[in-house]
Amino acid sequence: MYKRTVLIQNRTGLHARPATEFINCASKFNSKITIRSLSEEDEVDAKSIMLLLSLAIGQGDEVEISARGDDETEAVDALVALIESKFDED
Amino acid sequence: MEYKGNPVSHGIAIGEVYRYAPFVPEIEEKTILPEAKEIAVEQYLNLREKAKAELTAIQEKLKTNDPDKAKIFAAHVEILFDTAMNGEIQDYISYDNMSPEWAIKKTYDKYIRLLSKSKDAQIRERTADLKDLRIRLHRIWLGVPKKNLSILEKPVVVAAHDLLPSDTATLDRTKVLAIITEIGGSTSHSAIIARSYEIPAILGIPDIMNQLKDGETVIVDAVEGSLFTQPDEAQQNLYAEKRKDHLAYSAELKKYLHVQPVTKDGTRIEVHLNIGSVTPEELAGSQYTDGVGLFRTEFMYMLSAGLPSEDEQFKQYRKAALEFGERPLILRTLDIGGDKQLESMELPREDNPFLGLRALRLCFERLSVFKTQLRAAFRAGCYGNVWIMLPMVGSMDDIRTAKQIIGEVKEELEKEGVQYNPDVKIGIMIEIPAIALIADMAAKEVDFASLGTNDLCQYLTAVDRLNPHVSQYYQTYHPSMFRLIGQTAAAFHAAGKPIGVCGEMGGDPLTAAVLIGLGIRKLSMGIASVAGIKKLITGLTIPKAEELAEKVVTLSTADEVEAYVKRELESLV
Repeated sequence: MYKRTVLIQNRTGLHARPATEFINCASKFNSKITIRSLSEEDEVDAKSIMLLLSLAIGQGDEVEISARGDDETEAVDALVALIESKFDED
Repeated sequence: MEYKGNPVSHGIAIGEVYRYAPFVPEIEEKTILPEAKEIAVEQYLNLREKAKAELTAIQEKLKTNDPDKAKIFAAHVEILFDTAMNGEIQDYISYDNMSPEWAIKKTYDKYIRLLSKSKDAQIRERTADLKDLRIRLHRIWLGVPKKNLSILEKPVVVAAHDLLPSDTATLDRTKVLAIITEIGGSTSHSAIIARSYEIPAILGIPDIMNQLKDGETVIVDAVEGSLFTQPDEAQQNLYAEKRKDHLAYSAELKKYLHVQPVTKDGTRIEVHLNIGSVTPEELAGSQYTDGVGLFRTEFMYMLSAGLPSEDEQFKQYRKAALEFGERPLILRTLDIGGDKQLESMELPREDNPFLGLRALRLCFERLSVFKTQLRAAFRAGCYGNVWIMLPMVGSMDDIRTAKQIIGEVKEELEKEGVQYNPDVKIGIMIEIPAIALIADMAAKEVDFASLGTNDLCQYLTAVDRLNPHVSQYYQTYHPSMFRLIGQTAAAFHAAGKPIGVCGEMGGDPLTAAVLIGLGIRKLSMGIASVAGIKKLITGLTIPKAEELAEKVVTLSTADEVEAYVKRELESLV
């Protein structure tokens, strides 16, 4: 298993278009990927738009992304890079 | 057979009936035999494809003319294929022997509960999408054809129990020949929308849904308020002629659209527009008018699957501001509650919504929604002459609280270095008698006011304007209305602050003449009323209008007032 923590910096957080982009990116990988907000216990399937939305992750939240599978490192790194790109919001 | 109702938007139409009722599926718990589960999963996957095909077709239709609406349906496809939800639905079928429709209900309901508990309002509002999609899936499953006013196959006469603002806001105006409803009066939203789209409408025909069949031909005479079923050929021909005459009359009246609204004795009366969106059709009224006296921003919220973001709002306000340039654009802040509900906001059900948590009161509770809108309005202020108007103001406390919030918003914009116009005017809607009676005090603390006569009348006469049982008590011509309006207008003029009228009274030539006599120089109305009002103005003199105003406040009943004004203005309307 491979995991990393990242800070959400874009204004919208993981809602709307950024949420869609996040899901699309996650779905490209074979690994089982989960995401959780550091302030909460529950982790959810990072390929499900509805579960991701249910976390209501906003600007300033820290999230942990974990993956398990043959492309776990690439998956987590790609998702972290996407979040760090601020989804081109600024 | 002839049925009578209230002709709220004049015109004549002949066409086929399309009965519109929101589909409410009844799904019961049901299990399947274990050996049928593979077929059941297959059925679910087929169903999902059918739903996707419908959603894609809708998106295609909307793509060019209404890309924002198209996006809502793109989001629905996303939910339809959500991995977690699909996994659960298929597990319910495969391991728990649930029927596909029950598995769908279980899963969607679970996610609706999950999202409705979210601390984030934006997320809670997504439940509306889930509900919509669940209904779509069940409707296809049950083989019920889809009914939707935004996509109609051919021109029809729409019949409904009632049309919600969300139905009317999306209806395809090119295909709706006429509107018939069981409830609703002349100031209901169905009526306002019908008039602004120039669709003939008769409201308040009790139980008409049970009397009509889909596809039967009817005649709608929305001048006299008559609906004829099973018309014979002679009758159809007669009404085809009448329809022509009415269209000719409307065309004749339209010539007045272009004239300057100046009275015979030289007083310029401002004629402003009421709008609900910034579509090209709505903004076309710009060429005939002095500004926007009322932008009902709530329609934007009703059309949006979630709450519209600051940027979405900003873009719309900016579009309108640029269109009107130096002419004022009055944005009324969110007026939700009362007869207008918002699916994306899950408002509490109230016994007396018109007396409840509505408009400004609701905005005070949902500060982030209010502030988002204010930010968008202040930013749009850089692109035109934007004024902000607060609805449902009842006291000086309301004005002061709102101004304090506005101050905070400006400070935040300042701190963030966002471009905004600090000089945007702040005004109030006068629709609660309590504020009308202290208009002199209110005038000192706001920049302008506008009389919302529909609600003012409902609150002054204590009549729920949507309740057909008390409609005879809703009296626009009540002498009290004119006394109160005169007094309020005088207080604002004494303070040197502008005051106009943006309710239905401003667009009805009979009442508008009296309003001018009471000192009102600014009338705001739907585009459909502009020509008639300009015709009135150009034939009126100020002394005549003042004579009317002086007389009506001495008459004792609404009927007397109406008969008197009609008689006096016969040649001008």
